[in-house]
Amino acid sequence: MTLTKKDLRRLLSEYKIVVLIFVIAIIWAFFGTLTWDSDTGWSQFLTARNFSNLLRQMAITGMLASGMLFIIVAAEIDLSVGSLAGLLGGIAAVLDVWWGWPLYGTVAAVVVLGVGIGLMVGWIVAYVGIPSFIVTLGGQLAFRGAVLGITAGITIAPASAQLKFIGQGYLPGGIGDAMAVALFVLLAFLAFRSRAGRIKHNLPVSSMSMEIGKLAVIGAVIVGFVLTLNSYQGVPVPVLILLVILGIFTIVGDSTVFGRRIYAVGSNLEATRLSGVDVNMVKMLIWGLMGLMCAFAGLTTTARLAAGTPSAGFGSELDAIASCFIGGASMRGGIGTVIGALVGAVIMASLDNGMSMLGIDTFWQQITKGIILVLAVWLDIVSSGNQR
Amino acid sequence: MSEYLLEMRGITKEFNQVKAIENIDLKVRPGECVGLCGENGAGKSTLMKVLSAVYPYGTWEGSILWEGKELKAHSIVETEAAGIVIIHQELMMVPHLSVAENIFLGDELTNGFGFIDYDLMNAKATQLMNRLKMPDINVALPVLSYGGGKQQLIEIAKALNKNAKLLILDEPTSALTGTETETLLDLIKEFKSHGMACVYISHKLDEVAAIADTVTIIRDGHHIGTQPMAELDTNRIITMMVGREMKNLFPREEHEVGEVVFEAKNISVWDTTNPDRKLVDDVSFQLRAGEILGVAGLVGAGRTELACKLFGYWPGDHEGKIFLDGKEIHVKNPADAVRQGICMVPEDRKRHGIIPLMPVGYNITMSVLGRYAHNQLIDAESELAAIQHEILRMKIKTASPLLPIASLSGGNQQKAVVGKMLLPDPRVLIMDEPTRGVDVGAKYEIYKLIFELAKQGVAILMISSELPEVLGVADRVLVISEGKLTGDFPNVGLSQETVLAAAIGKPETAAA
Repeated sequence: MTLTKKDLRRLLSEYKIVVLIFVIAIIWAFFGTLTWDSDTGWSQFLTARNFSNLLRQMAITGMLASGMLFIIVAAEIDLSVGSLAGLLGGIAAVLDVWWGWPLYGTVAAVVVLGVGIGLMVGWIVAYVGIPSFIVTLGGQLAFRGAVLGITAGITIAPASAQLKFIGQGYLPGGIGDAMAVALFVLLAFLAFRSRAGRIKHNLPVSSMSMEIGKLAVIGAVIVGFVLTLNSYQGVPVPVLILLVILGIFTIVGDSTVFGRRIYAVGSNLEATRLSGVDVNMVKMLIWGLMGLMCAFAGLTTTARLAAGTPSAGFGSELDAIASCFIGGASMRGGIGTVIGALVGAVIMASLDNGMSMLGIDTFWQQITKGIILVLAVWLDIVSSGNQR
Repeated sequence: MSEYLLEMRGITKEFNQVKAIENIDLKVRPGECVGLCGENGAGKSTLMKVLSAVYPYGTWEGSILWEGKELKAHSIVETEAAGIVIIHQELMMVPHLSVAENIFLGDELTNGFGFIDYDLMNAKATQLMNRLKMPDINVALPVLSYGGGKQQLIEIAKALNKNAKLLILDEPTSALTGTETETLLDLIKEFKSHGMACVYISHKLDEVAAIADTVTIIRDGHHIGTQPMAELDTNRIITMMVGREMKNLFPREEHEVGEVVFEAKNISVWDTTNPDRKLVDDVSFQLRAGEILGVAGLVGAGRTELACKLFGYWPGDHEGKIFLDGKEIHVKNPADAVRQGICMVPEDRKRHGIIPLMPVGYNITMSVLGRYAHNQLIDAESELAAIQHEILRMKIKTASPLLPIASLSGGNQQKAVVGKMLLPDPRVLIMDEPTRGVDVGAKYEIYKLIFELAKQGVAILMISSELPEVLGVADRVLVISEGKLTGDFPNVGLSQETVLAAAIGKPETAAA
């Protein structure tokens, strides 16, 4: 029996992402069955429309989770992102509704402000040396206070049509198809290039059929994804933005100097410093990225609601953090992937969406999400063999 | 009852189908000290973890007989209750708790109401300290107010308090000074005379020779031999450990000593927690191209602090000037130092050397990653080529360059850390205890590398607590005692006694 347990453990740790996708499948099957509608002969949960909604719901959490992932990998935490996204969303609403700025002006101003505030938080953490938990706990309060001050506690509406497009718009089907094809070609190219590189340096590679099989699965997922969304209204704009972020952040994490250093800082800060890496700069830049993600999340929130509200983004830092941990990031730093965090966000959004559809009370929803978070991290601990 | 206190028979332990140790026997009689020798990665620690039930019964094969009966312990609590106490290489103490609190941690003495009875605990702790011949220790003070050597003895007091019948000491002297080591060895001899048995694990074979009655040698997870110490000598042990004859420990090579490249002037460093305390006091020295400058001294003399200051890593107050090629340079942080051609291999490999979750290869390229990148994007191929070149040059034994560094043995980790600090092509290389906790084979390779670097004209500052190493490798020896420079000797006919006398702070007695 011990052997099978060991095998299971290895399987879990090597194919973490596969396990997570399996978990999503179970959740979807569960809600799919429970929302079966005998009139239409189809489940309400598993429709293209709901799939599109679900993705739009998770897009904002996903943006925050992408930025949060690097912070958690660097063994830090940010409790202020919900408030900061709310503040930036409120500013966007003020610029758009009250001041009538054009879209590009609003976006530029909010992005510059987001990155600036992020860098400032990062500077306090890295250079002044105050623990990030404290700095961002303070930030959470201060930014929320600022939102209330700026919006005067009222809802600012209605947002301009251009701004609304960011949160509510859809890409026409043809563009979606073209992008899917381009993405697949790019992934295939990268896979074969990295394979060639590994062969050249005598590193182990998986067999050719395995490689092609993997690509076929990825291709099927992409085609299924785009076809499903196109059968409703097309790829939602915020989902597209999130996918672009996923692509860029994955490259940053896997194959840039900056990304390598983030993982090194999280794994052993002092050893990284003694290797001659400017670790303070690395930390500050991570918060710059986080600020950028807050700007995107804030803009998307305001655009989706077509209004700036004082409570926008409330509590979403916890969703973002939970997504990272469900997606396999380690509390101690040094481990985690952006794709994992986003899959974590999909799991959280699926639970929200499915339970709302079933009319389950909010309090049950919160209890369930809490339990799922703890279960996911438990699974992670068991699979990594760190149990004591 | 059997003649043995402990009999381990045919112990085999696997990790992921790889046998870490295979069919190992170890027997200890009451009152006997068994030396356990083997290179890093030979399986000594694994064997001891099996014995102390860090790996519980059932996760390994073989049997353990304890006082004639089979021991099936599932946790370290059970083995300690039986009387097997292990003292780890890294001290396991809570620095801010008092000496007495640490000794009784886990079984605190309480009064009738369940509150801690401090008077009783302190009194008992003082008794233990007297038994250990350390009456001057105030057991009510926090552990951190005592140095590494005293802490090691406090750890032993903790073991005594648990009524240990078998004491396992894993590299107990790696952080001790010469006199502290002697005290420890004397104590162990005394315990032996009272019937306590011990297993002594150490790379320092002269200590093993001084204290062990029997020596068990393992190599690559296999039992090589068990013999009475009387029939062995250290050379014989080394041969059995490495499986080949080691003729010369220090592969000295001729190298030219050139111009002065580096100069430190009036370096002073103050303690971080107590800013009035000077740890390094007005030290000045010059370092020439191709010169190997050894820095000797007792543990805590201020050598590591000096190195940290030179590398821009000292967090507390410091002053003094640093010159490279005659020009003053300012080193604000390690990144500055590396950029200007000063590199450091730190003393504490685990805390300061390795980035444990990362592959060996990525550890090696950490300092110079920018070289293999265009606009931030890493060119995986040129990085891998550089990694493989470095792995070959440093003779790092690893199945793949992408294996996490933490899975390698200590010696190979150290070689990787040294490799990392060579890639920036340093002019000055500071090595703080470069062979600490490293096995004989890896030591030899590190020495060879040091000579090779000196030949290429790198100026090397080598801090070491092992005098034979300093005398075997260095061209010139600096001695630091309580923060002050007390000796600067060319290494020509230099004796251990001279260096030691200066290290203790009495250079005038060294003349004899």
